[in-house]
Amino acid sequence: MNRPVKDHEILSAVFAKMDVPALSIAVGILGALLLFLATAILLLQTVPEDYPVGPHLSALADYLPGYSVSWGGTLVGAVYGFLGGAIAGFAAAVYWNIAHYVALGVMLISSAELAD
Amino acid sequence: MGNYQQMQSANHKLNPVNLKLLRAAIRFNSLMLGLTGGTLSAIVIYFATHMSIAKWGADSGNYLGLLAVFFPGYSVTASGAWVGAFWAFVYVGLISSLSYRLYGRVLGTRIADILLSTQPSDNPVLKPTILRLHGVSLGLAVGAVAGLGLFCSTAWLVIRGTAAESVHAALLANYIPGYTVSIFGGLVGGLELFVFVFVASLLLAAVYNKIVEVRHK
Repeated sequence: MNRPVKDHEILSAVFAKMDVPALSIAVGILGALLLFLATAILLLQTVPEDYPVGPHLSALADYLPGYSVSWGGTLVGAVYGFLGGAIAGFAAAVYWNIAHYVALGVMLISSAELAD
Repeated sequence: MGNYQQMQSANHKLNPVNLKLLRAAIRFNSLMLGLTGGTLSAIVIYFATHMSIAKWGADSGNYLGLLAVFFPGYSVTASGAWVGAFWAFVYVGLISSLSYRLYGRVLGTRIADILLSTQPSDNPVLKPTILRLHGVSLGLAVGAVAGLGLFCSTAWLVIRGTAAESVHAALLANYIPGYTVSIFGGLVGGLELFVFVFVASLLLAAVYNKIVEVRHK
């Protein structure tokens, strides 16, 4: 980039808002892929017959009803992964935006007090 | 004037960016991200601990209790939930803050061109624009911190002398080929995790930016 960056552009970047639906969906998709792949990778590995597949990952069923380390479980896991990711993305974006508003409020109040 | 100062001065003449403001901006947002990540992870650990207690009572803590290796004083109890929340806030807050520092450093003076989805606002404070993500910078920053995190946690298991008993950590080899609970295994695992997180960050940024583009055309 050759053009100079102006001060108000830097400030715009600092105080830019996070797009809440966009981050929710993006993190949701990542969460779905993560749990889908985590389950599928275990299923693709060869284990001796009568040996339990993914006994530790199966413990997730305690928190996610219906989930199991099986091909059907990959889809159930993907749905849960999407929901969990979307909630995390939503919370992060909302918190980020609120924290910036609060910080901004504090700065405006402090600068007003200094001007007085 | 030293060589470095001369170079900085020459660079400033070519591209007169207010470096002091830029550094302050990166510091401010790294603090904000640290607070965001720290608070949310503290809430997650607090509620996960209480959920575990509510569901299993005295038998709770089989997996969650392993966090005590990294969270001194943590246990799956009502008071342990507060200790866990404190450590989660400290660890994730620091990691998030460090990630943003690196992200900001990689972006550098391109910050405005890359991060803003629309024209910069004349009043950035009261009429903020929408943030975009830069996948490569995000991947480099978060990937580096994640890789370093895996290496340090593996090294900690080796240093405290429990590497041989760390059967749960060794299960990571299912997803990270070549990973073992050893210094070399931690190094291999850290490098591989860097690559995985880099790719995941590219995907995250691409999806996020696409949705922002569609919603704010």
